[in-house]
Amino acid sequence: MDSDESYLIVDIDSRTTKAILVEGAAGGYRLAGVSETETTMEAPVLDVAAGVKTTLAGLEEGTGRKILDGDRPSVAHRFMASSSTGGGLHMVVGGVTGIISGESAQRAALGAGALLMDQFSKDDGRPQFERVARLRSLKPDIMLMAGGTNGGAVTQVLEMAEVVKTADVKPRFGEEYPLPFIYAGNVEIRDRVKKALGEDRYATKMVENVRPVISEENLGPAKEGIYDAYMEHVIVHSPGYDELLSWTEEPLLPTQAAVGRLLYAYVEARRVNLIGVDVGGETTDVYSVFNGIFNRSLNADIGITYGIMNIVKETGLPNVMRWLPPEMKEREVRNTAGNMMLHEHGSLSPDQKNVQAAVAREAVRLGMEKHRGIASRLKGTLVGRTLSDMFNQAIEDTIIDMSKTDVVVGKGRVFSDQTTLESAMILIDSLEPVGVTEIMVDRSSIMPHLGSLLGVNHDAALQILVEESLKSLATLAALSGNAREGEEAVTVRMTVDGSEIVDSVKVGDIRIVPLGADEAAEATFIPHRRLDLGAGRGKQVKKRVQGGEVGLILDARGRPLNRFRKTPEAST
Amino acid sequence: MSTLQLQEDTVVRKERRLPTEGEALVKPGDHVEAETVVARGVVENPDIRELRVFSSLGVSPDMAKNYMLKSTGDDVGRDEVIAIYRSFFGRSTKVARSPIDGKIENFSPVTGRAIIRGHPIQMDVKAHLPGEIAELIDGEGAVVEARAAVLQGAFGLGGEARGELAFSLDSPDLPLTSGEIKAEHKGKVVVGGSVVTVDALHAAARNGVAAVIVGGVDQKDLTEFLGYEMGVGVTGGEDLGFTLIITEGFGVNPIDDARFSLLKEHEGRLACVDGTTQIRSRIQRPEVIIPL
Repeated sequence: MDSDESYLIVDIDSRTTKAILVEGAAGGYRLAGVSETETTMEAPVLDVAAGVKTTLAGLEEGTGRKILDGDRPSVAHRFMASSSTGGGLHMVVGGVTGIISGESAQRAALGAGALLMDQFSKDDGRPQFERVARLRSLKPDIMLMAGGTNGGAVTQVLEMAEVVKTADVKPRFGEEYPLPFIYAGNVEIRDRVKKALGEDRYATKMVENVRPVISEENLGPAKEGIYDAYMEHVIVHSPGYDELLSWTEEPLLPTQAAVGRLLYAYVEARRVNLIGVDVGGETTDVYSVFNGIFNRSLNADIGITYGIMNIVKETGLPNVMRWLPPEMKEREVRNTAGNMMLHEHGSLSPDQKNVQAAVAREAVRLGMEKHRGIASRLKGTLVGRTLSDMFNQAIEDTIIDMSKTDVVVGKGRVFSDQTTLESAMILIDSLEPVGVTEIMVDRSSIMPHLGSLLGVNHDAALQILVEESLKSLATLAALSGNAREGEEAVTVRMTVDGSEIVDSVKVGDIRIVPLGADEAAEATFIPHRRLDLGAGRGKQVKKRVQGGEVGLILDARGRPLNRFRKTPEAST
Repeated sequence: MSTLQLQEDTVVRKERRLPTEGEALVKPGDHVEAETVVARGVVENPDIRELRVFSSLGVSPDMAKNYMLKSTGDDVGRDEVIAIYRSFFGRSTKVARSPIDGKIENFSPVTGRAIIRGHPIQMDVKAHLPGEIAELIDGEGAVVEARAAVLQGAFGLGGEARGELAFSLDSPDLPLTSGEIKAEHKGKVVVGGSVVTVDALHAAARNGVAAVIVGGVDQKDLTEFLGYEMGVGVTGGEDLGFTLIITEGFGVNPIDDARFSLLKEHEGRLACVDGTTQIRSRIQRPEVIIPL
């Protein structure tokens, strides 16, 4: 399909404003140019639109296209934007029961791209005054409160509303304006909730219940309510955004929401299960789509620059040291990590690279630990148990199943600082997938842009994602189960370019079989009778495997992983 | 090369703000000393208590409102009766008493609970450096202006401190050990060398040193001294007994020559330091101001 349409898309984070131009081309769409400059929301400029114009001028110069028309983008291109300035969208959520309505509210907020400052509920163990004091100290951008099924709890919901009223919570920016408050609980008591919150104290918005009945979760309307409040009440208080909004008819999304939407669309198109991790300097985001259910979690202050010492604090130094060469001692590791927090480094020394790779593994591992709790089955519902469940002691609460993860995507600076092999190993070591999994990284950092584009041109967004953004590093075949060290763990047979390749790996080892990024093969895996490649112990697996810059990785180190410094051996 | 600020002679404008509304005690043009109080206000008392009035009275939550003697906004004394319930024709009396001196911040007629907060606390903001009041910040404080030499550090712990600049080492390449920190350094800002040892940190606290400025510290030693892992790079509230400013970074790092020379040039003069650090988008580095 050829198209004359072109799209000008901007993402603004606290430090960088990045613009891309996507235009129609033979066979669909192409990325015509990328430009970035510093964000100008802080003093002395105090006008985010100024930075956008500079970026667009750079794009004009780089592409030779007419991008600016005077003081605004040319109407020849459809303009869209996403933003995470000011550290992103800060939210507080509440519910009657922490693990039921509270969890649903939490999932809605995180799914909408928010950074969660706190979650409060009737059963959170805090006395009322502490909730009031805490709420008063928080200053979020938006509050979301759920509670009660439709026709269900009344008194507890009203009590929580009264706590909010007493706290008189002020917004982070623009204290003179009322804080946006979204109610997504029992719809039958909306008027009473509004009254309990106090007239005009909050900019209250009523949306559909996130838990209309106990066995059902409905997050869409709450997320939309958050986007609306973000546009109408939050972003307008930041300097320059009013001008930006006058250039577009499209909603301005929080950056993380745009990334989440894009990953979800990619999964829908491929019908796979996916885990995406975004390792930033200050935060680590985890996205997942399992059986069509999207979840996002965020570990604030866990990152590889500003958040690096917090990783050491949260995971403990021994967990970082286990990934490092034995010659690196504690003092060296601590000082290297500490200095990576204090100073920005253009290029990294070998020691810094080692430390970055180690803390990135722990950042993702900590992020995934939290994510399992967020991506959980609905609490408060009846769970049917089979006879075998009785022997399993417990049913997993999480919907994440690492043996059914088809695709893993890594995003963030660490994946460009490290080699492709190390990038793949960071994702494998921290997530420990089992079975056959594609390992990819984002190479161009344009996912937020494509997430914005998705709303107006689905096909263009997915085409650019696949062609320009996602890079296949490897396909991983990883085994679980116990077998004797040194025995053959799995044998793979596949035909590549007319030649048959047969290779195998021994228990305890990890091995790379060459399979280029532009190659794919029908592979047959024959595991050891005691080992499982996702189909059951000893069961053969036939699967089409995609190559990558690293190749096909056979991982027989076992799960959970207890061999931490194992270097993959290369097949000859 | 470090991007941290180093200015030999500049005009410093320091905003001195209360964390709350208050009043300025100075006026534009006034000369102030470092210890002059420039603004005074009151802050909310963090001591806040919840009183389950209904429980003390033995009535249902929604009935408690009928027995209240005090209302939201009323001052109350410690042990003062704020609600009373008489039954059996006055033979049985139950009361709810305030656990602290303060004010009833809220009483909920739905939950039957009262929130009582201690009386506000007076808070003063000092000038921090000698200079002239350049302007007032409406209801919050003032801007102090002064000529000074200014240098930023990479990382600090502890808040504002002031004292005479003192040297116990002649070279920025030497480590600052406990032997170099003596009783004569009490109340002074001690400039060290390439690294401060954990024993020297203890000696600084023991001898009442106002601040230590040094090139580096081993992150392991700092963790041991603090007694906990530092976590995120947001500091300023630590209670070490002194302020610590690291000019270069973690590990053994001699103080940069230009910084060391500037500090040495002003030996014996007043140094106004602040260890507050925030390594984030809105970055804040620790600083040393030497009024000229």
